[in-house]
Amino acid sequence: MHADFTRLDISNRRRSLIGYCLGMAVYALLVVAMYPAFKTSTSLDTLIRSDSTAAALFGVTGPISSTGGWLNGNIYANFFPLIMLLLTIGYGAACLAGQDEDGTLGLLAALPVRRTAIVTQKAAAMTAQAAALAITVAVLVIIGRSFQLDITVADVAAVSAAVLLMGVDFGLITMAAGAVTGRKGTAIGVGTALAAASYLISSLAPVASWIRPARYASLFYWSVGNSQISHGVSPADYAVLITVGIAALAATLLAFRHLDLH
Amino acid sequence: MTAAIEASGLCKSYGRVRAVTSLDLLVEPGQVFAFLGPNGAGKTTTIRMLLALQRPDSGSAKVLGLDSGQDSVAIHRRTGYLPGDLALYPRMTGRQHIAWQAGARGLRDLSYAAELAERLGAVLDRPARELSKGNRQKIGLILAFMSRPDVLVLDEPTSGLDPLMRSEFGRLARDAAAAGGTVFWSSHELDEVQRLADRVAIIKQGRLVATETVEHLRRAAPQAVHARFAAPVGPEIFAGMGGVAVTACDGDTIDLEVTGPIGPVLRVIAGRDPVDFTSQHADLDQLFLAYYREPAAPEPTHAR
Repeated sequence: MHADFTRLDISNRRRSLIGYCLGMAVYALLVVAMYPAFKTSTSLDTLIRSDSTAAALFGVTGPISSTGGWLNGNIYANFFPLIMLLLTIGYGAACLAGQDEDGTLGLLAALPVRRTAIVTQKAAAMTAQAAALAITVAVLVIIGRSFQLDITVADVAAVSAAVLLMGVDFGLITMAAGAVTGRKGTAIGVGTALAAASYLISSLAPVASWIRPARYASLFYWSVGNSQISHGVSPADYAVLITVGIAALAATLLAFRHLDLH
Repeated sequence: MTAAIEASGLCKSYGRVRAVTSLDLLVEPGQVFAFLGPNGAGKTTTIRMLLALQRPDSGSAKVLGLDSGQDSVAIHRRTGYLPGDLALYPRMTGRQHIAWQAGARGLRDLSYAAELAERLGAVLDRPARELSKGNRQKIGLILAFMSRPDVLVLDEPTSGLDPLMRSEFGRLARDAAAAGGTVFWSSHELDEVQRLADRVAIIKQGRLVATETVEHLRRAAPQAVHARFAAPVGPEIFAGMGGVAVTACDGDTIDLEVTGPIGPVLRVIAGRDPVDFTSQHADLDQLFLAYYREPAAPEPTHAR
């Protein structure tokens, strides 16, 4: 007897997942392929230095002509997390609250399976989808080393994993909000609002001293906002990201046990 | 013998709206049990509480002696369920739904599912989003019946089905009961209920107003009496007579609805020189509708 919700959900979302990965692959390939043209562009660095606050809003905090600056400013600090969050927050809202609203969850919950298994398998499905996206980006960036990007495979893997963990964290927080309220719209609102606040805090912390103390509350800071692309992902970064994920999963499990299904 | 379904003092509210109030229910094994009530009466909420999809505010529910709050997995293992608002995965075919749910139930032999599909004429190889409401309902019925569960809980199972398939559903339900299973189904279809059900429960505004055998209900149904007299009469001739309501009076004819003993009515009619007289039990439809329409719910009646 095996109710495989993970495979069911991945199978039902495979087209959109392929779309996410293909789109991100094309974008990442363009970014790494353009790097040689900008590597020696000091004028771009000068431009960013002249308005560091505006640059920080886009996640650019150092010289963009460096490998770290280029990858952070074009992929890891903004576009990749954005796509990752679209995927995980979208799934996090749809997989419990969304399915309850559209009526498909009631039929599944009447099968001989514990609600705990439903949640953990759906969390696994989210992680697998996020991993597919993260691996796609990591592979393309590693390919980018042939376009003069000076970065190790280990650093690419580590920072991609950090974005993956952050995405799953926000996805699980969204899932928890859905399990508490049973409302997909509310779940998306909670996940999106927290992610947006987290991004702004992490991005502006280097240039706005008043917001700097709050950076520790930002998952972006623990993922890509503390120059992880250049200095590596620390054990503390992983610890925070994993702990938040476990806490959000525990909250989802607890809330879903009490959710009235339709 | 352990009851197939037993509910005691079930209550459920959504905010200020009381969906189910102090509901007691007993369904014996092997019965085809119809759960009737108008829209919003609390049928679906009751079903969801029985299957632990929703938690009651108070009270308890047992299915096959298992507590729905504590033993939901064991209950689901022995129960087939068809939701009232059945939703299937739009891109998956009926065959894929059946295969996936069979895997989830540990069901390896799909021969009964194939038989059900043939009996119902189900379309199994097209995505659910391309199927009509009736064809989706057939898939839902196959999913509910295919594991030959001990208890079938079906929320308006014939919704969207054509008359032929409604009839086939009736045979499936009777087959399941004949094999020792219990069928608990909510319905608006009074004809079906009269034809299929062993017992009926009527719920209104979240309260159970009657639980009867169909035969008992039939006997308890009011008699429609029509009498014509040699000379004009007025309704006052039945004044003060308990259990008699004059529904029409036009010159020399009078129509009555009699819920009490017929003898006193016959004596009054016989004393007024009658020239024509008919009496028949009202259709059950009228009785159900009377329960539905009754502004204040009548006292619950129970008969085994």
